[in-house]
Amino acid sequence: MPGLGSRLGRGGATTFLQDLANSDCIVIMGANMAENHPVGFRFVVQAQERGATVIHVDPRFTRTSALADQHVPLRAGSDMVFLGALIRHVIEGGHYNGEYVRHYTNASALVGDAFRDVEELGGLFSGYVARERRYDPASWAITATPGGQPSKDERGAASDPTLQHPRCVFQVLRRHFARYTPEMVADVCGVEPERFAAVADAIVRNSTPDRTTAFAYAMAWTQHTTGTQMISCCAILQLLLGNVGRPGGGVMALRGHATIQGSTDIPTLFDLLPGYLPMPTTERAHGNLAAYLDDITVDTCGWADAPAYTISLLKAYYGDAAHPANDFGYGYLPQIGGDYSFQQMLIMMRERVIRGLLCMGQNPAVGGQNARLGRRALGQLDWLVLRDAFEIESASFWKDSPEVLAGEIRPEEIGTEVFLMPAALTPEKEGSYTNTQRLMQWHDKAVEPPGDARSEAWFVHRLAQRLRELYADDASPAAAQLRALTWEYPTNAAGDPDLATILTEINGYRVADRSPVSGFDQLRADGSTACGCWIYAGVAPQPGRNRARERDPSGPAALGWGFSWPANRRMLYNRASARPDGSPWSERKAWVWWDDAAGRWVGHDVPDFPVTKPPSYEPPPGARGLAALPGDAPFLMIADGLGQLYVQSALRDGPLPTHYEPWESPVGNHLYPAQPRNPAAIPLEHPENPLQSPQDPAYPHVITTYRLTEHHTGGGMSRYVPWLAELQPEGFAEIDPALAAALSLATGDWVAIVTARGEIRTRALVTARLEPLTVDGRTVHQIGMPWHFGYGGIATGASANDLTALVEDPNSRIHEGKSFACAVRKVLAPGPGAPDRWARDGERGDG
Amino acid sequence: MNERRHHAGDMSQSNRRRSAAPTSPASPYGLPVIRRAHWGWLVVVYFFLGGLSGLSAVVAALASLTRGSAASETVRAGRYLSLAALIPCPLLLILDLRKPARFLNMLRVIKLRSPMSLGVWGLILFSLVSGLGVARQAASDGFLGAGRLAAVTRRLPEQTLAIVTIPLGLFLAGYTGVLLAATAVPLWAKRGLLLGPLFLSSALSGSAAAIAAALAVRRPSHGEVTALARLERIATLAEAALLWGWLTRLGATAKPLMSGGTGRAVRHGAAGAGLALPLVLNATATITPAHWRRSLTLIASALTLLGGFLLRYAIVFGGNRSADDPAAAFALTRAEPRR
Amino acid sequence: MADSAIAFSAKPNFRSEAVGFLTDATLCIGCKACEVACKQWNDLPADNLGPMTGMSYDNTIALGAETWRHVAFIERTADESAIGSPVTWLMLSDVCKHCVNAACMEACPTGAIIRTEFDSVYIQPDICNGCGYCIPACPFGVPQLSAAGAAQKCTMCYDRLRGGLEPACAKACPTESIRFGFVEELYASGVARIAQLRERDVDARLYGDRMLGGTGAIGGLNALFVLNDAPETFNLPAAPDLPQRIVPRAFAATAAAALVLCAAAIAAMQERS
Repeated sequence: MPGLGSRLGRGGATTFLQDLANSDCIVIMGANMAENHPVGFRFVVQAQERGATVIHVDPRFTRTSALADQHVPLRAGSDMVFLGALIRHVIEGGHYNGEYVRHYTNASALVGDAFRDVEELGGLFSGYVARERRYDPASWAITATPGGQPSKDERGAASDPTLQHPRCVFQVLRRHFARYTPEMVADVCGVEPERFAAVADAIVRNSTPDRTTAFAYAMAWTQHTTGTQMISCCAILQLLLGNVGRPGGGVMALRGHATIQGSTDIPTLFDLLPGYLPMPTTERAHGNLAAYLDDITVDTCGWADAPAYTISLLKAYYGDAAHPANDFGYGYLPQIGGDYSFQQMLIMMRERVIRGLLCMGQNPAVGGQNARLGRRALGQLDWLVLRDAFEIESASFWKDSPEVLAGEIRPEEIGTEVFLMPAALTPEKEGSYTNTQRLMQWHDKAVEPPGDARSEAWFVHRLAQRLRELYADDASPAAAQLRALTWEYPTNAAGDPDLATILTEINGYRVADRSPVSGFDQLRADGSTACGCWIYAGVAPQPGRNRARERDPSGPAALGWGFSWPANRRMLYNRASARPDGSPWSERKAWVWWDDAAGRWVGHDVPDFPVTKPPSYEPPPGARGLAALPGDAPFLMIADGLGQLYVQSALRDGPLPTHYEPWESPVGNHLYPAQPRNPAAIPLEHPENPLQSPQDPAYPHVITTYRLTEHHTGGGMSRYVPWLAELQPEGFAEIDPALAAALSLATGDWVAIVTARGEIRTRALVTARLEPLTVDGRTVHQIGMPWHFGYGGIATGASANDLTALVEDPNSRIHEGKSFACAVRKVLAPGPGAPDRWARDGERGDG
Repeated sequence: MNERRHHAGDMSQSNRRRSAAPTSPASPYGLPVIRRAHWGWLVVVYFFLGGLSGLSAVVAALASLTRGSAASETVRAGRYLSLAALIPCPLLLILDLRKPARFLNMLRVIKLRSPMSLGVWGLILFSLVSGLGVARQAASDGFLGAGRLAAVTRRLPEQTLAIVTIPLGLFLAGYTGVLLAATAVPLWAKRGLLLGPLFLSSALSGSAAAIAAALAVRRPSHGEVTALARLERIATLAEAALLWGWLTRLGATAKPLMSGGTGRAVRHGAAGAGLALPLVLNATATITPAHWRRSLTLIASALTLLGGFLLRYAIVFGGNRSADDPAAAFALTRAEPRR
Repeated sequence: MADSAIAFSAKPNFRSEAVGFLTDATLCIGCKACEVACKQWNDLPADNLGPMTGMSYDNTIALGAETWRHVAFIERTADESAIGSPVTWLMLSDVCKHCVNAACMEACPTGAIIRTEFDSVYIQPDICNGCGYCIPACPFGVPQLSAAGAAQKCTMCYDRLRGGLEPACAKACPTESIRFGFVEELYASGVARIAQLRERDVDARLYGDRMLGGTGAIGGLNALFVLNDAPETFNLPAAPDLPQRIVPRAFAATAAAALVLCAAAIAAMQERS
């Protein structure tokens, strides 16, 4: 999550769900929390019962809106204008927390005079390399010397604590958002000024030393070509309001599904190693360990210890085969040479660059963007191994996909050999979840899995053993890497590897006596420690102890319930819950504060700060690591310890968030007509991924995809289960009554929805929960479509992802599923490619 | 859009907690509030035959007690008719159960507030008592031969049997009205006090008509025929009065009996064919020649029976329609307590 | 909630051991976890596998033989004709009311429907013979005949109660919209909740209570509801009554009619002699 990472230092939710109950105002935007995070939503309800105002800003009136105090419908994809206008409102109205902003953010830093804002260049920042659709961030630097290059130690930057200098970040920010007015909100988002004012007022009223406002977002911010900047825009707003690191404040990143946080911590992402260490890449000077470490280490913050984390990781991977003489086995690590994100993988599979796919708990035939291309890509593979509980669409695509049923592809033309392995589900195996708030919770095995179903641990363990056997006598470098791998896990009677041993490896241990470390501060860069994921250090601090399995609910932060990385801190940056002098902002909002008598930080949480560093601490010259940060710098993982209202180089599409229209939008960019789209976004070029032009008249409506409480992602775990299938038995698209009237549509009728990728047919659900918006003087209709459905299972329907495009946010490489443009027309039947049972209209309406 | 602007700044109320619209109370999607019974034709036939059996026996008993041998044809016909109508009844009841093998569970308990429980016990007692009465009749008529069985049967106390038969027969014909009334179905519950009397009078008119038809076939004495004709006329008038009173007092709840198939069954069947026509035909019969009279009586009897059957059809199936109507259910459970 | 200022004068006379539900529409987020938890625990089959109903997000429609918790979705605009007028979306998890005097139990001719030691109303599946009389008897439309032919409805998870666990639906509810406990306590918190909501100008009412017109001879519900709209909006009768209350009077009326008809019959048959 570079949106939060670049501004605050860590790519995770700044707070924990239970803390939402302490909020005085909760703004849910880019999320449908009641539907997709119903268990966490209880804390929103609790806050509301205590008098908090809950605001839901969303294109659709959802179950979240139903509980909210106010629902504000806005045009999908226009969130940045709304957020930018809030920032403008806060700055121009003087509603920001001046003390917080001056001490805890880089508002006073001076931006180099080479920098040119989008306001000056018609929608582009300085440094744009048009030919490569990317920015050279050199001119964005904060610097003491005009026009100079960013120094590695960024604390040397000049600053103006009065925030008056025209080049100081605060003034740059102010000018950048000057045109994000309530009128602009009305024109671009379709939100009336009164409604915007009510939201702005509620947020400002509840962002004071005594009150806090929290933001919660989810996939409806991430899944845009400007998604990262939307999130980072929210971070800027919360920094200005002084809400980050304080109880009831912060930015609650709601993750997409179970343990997605865990799968970025110990990543399934192509460009990360465990603990957010970058994957070595040929695109940077990562040729050897020293060069790699030099690149990733930041001397003046938490990242000063990156060598200890990296070398401990290599020791965990390669054991005795990792020693100083061979760069601790650094050379065994593969180096990436480009973009291998999920969307790129589809293209590479389609073009037979990738020939085999292991697909575990994923259903790309439904859940992948441009799923039509995705299914053709699956059909190009030599082999496909799926592990799932049911024969999901990705396993049966060769016989029952819409392309096959419509006769476009014949099964005998598909050469893919499909292996479907039955997978054990959560209660059938032991393991852990790391949830949306970085909290690792262990679960025991409750029942034996049925038949041949096995856990992932069982499968991966055996796969690794077989691969090592297979390559035992091979002379290739790949084989050397496999042989170097430590893979000595004891197994239990069922054949599962012992998870306690694996957890200890993740936690980290001293190589000499294999005794576990109790925190990442004990990791060393000399090869004496091994650690599978440094941020989890401390989860298993003693032999036989698994803190993720502990369940003590006592205390405001419930510190004895599970283990929250890093170091069991529940609220990140909680040094900011105290004033610069270390005293609480108010008694009501006290969380962590400086106890002068004890000479340490105390409070309800584990301080996210060196516990004995006094508020008045000034770093001595030449200090390294956390010692290089002063006593009032709460953002430990950033080089200057400050919240980044302006980032110098960490984001690929600019130091400040800027509104661009979605890649495919029926509306032009009001702010920068010459730049309708994010200039750094990445469209994937392929004949089967045609992209629409901006304001293409053939696609006049906005469409947004979403999820329902009743189903889970691509449906593999819900649409095949009768109890869940019956709750939403069929796919549908939500259409507002005005558009429905214009098309003579009634609920239950079939509609065709068309994008450049093709056409799908689904049922209409006509509902006033969607309303047409007046944008730029004309009416814009929005269509909502859940993306769970597919042709397999019990609950079926056309896949919304047959409509989506492969186009990426430049930072996160996430697709744009939350806003694109489409055409809609009424049809009489589900059409070719639909299973026979979809045409059973006669059964309707006579119950 | 102006409407929306009006509410734009309203933050004081949760969307959830803002009462949206002063709409009239209504089931949001027209869904039923209560659930309809699964009862259909089996129950209609049972209601019809049970009433016929019960009051045929009652008419026979009354005739035997008050007129003795002067009404022997009436008594005989009534008793045999009662038996004929009774025989299918338990079968119909059992077949209507979704678990017929468990019919005997009905006999685990007696529940005074459950008309169905009382009805089952009433049916059993009536079957025993009226069975003895029929047996005695059969013995008298020589159908049991001349053996010891016939002799023993003939010694059964006729008067006592008749006296016991009367309340049981009335119960069998009337309890079904109470059974329907003691539900949440608006059509049955709203003016439920009238259902038992309506079923009784309808059973009486039907039984009188059926016995009259039987007599007409056997060419009985003039006295018995005219007595039955008077009885039928009184019962028919009573039934007509009760039906009219019930329907008018139901108000809008009577909707299922005013429209559709069940409405036609009431208008053309129960009221037209079952009440008006027989009255006219029977009145005509008194002034027509005897050879015409017999045919008219038979036609009138058939129409009365048809009307009684259609009345029960309309009430049972109309009740099911009424159960599906949320407006009727809300009307029943609103404002003043129901009568 | 003992500190509630509300007087308890109108409190129905609950049996002290009675347990039940307090289901609060103002807290329901329509997640249907209660429906699924109920089906899972009680091993009830899915009974509506499509097509979709189109009635908002409600695809299970009503309580039934295989649906013992049902979440109703009521989607309305203030002015049906005006586009863009405020939408409300009410949700409520409906359930068997476990009436203090239960119509189904009164109706049952076999004694299959009993009152348990928890004061819940329970259908013994091995006794029920499928006569179906409890179905039209229930003023709330709760019991239904299963495909196998027996009447079925919520058991209040009798087996879980016996094992000291709360019912599956209450356990699963993430927002405490469904609360389980002693009815007396639930009633008190329901009353307090109503007072709290009314303070916030919410048109709140406690269903299953005399405030709404009462429950007549039913004598109160062991499953109470906090509603934020008219009961009819949630498909609940405003003033339900016990249908069996009519039975003595109906028999008396029938008996009176019987006497009159007999007298008329005797007169009719004697007059000619």
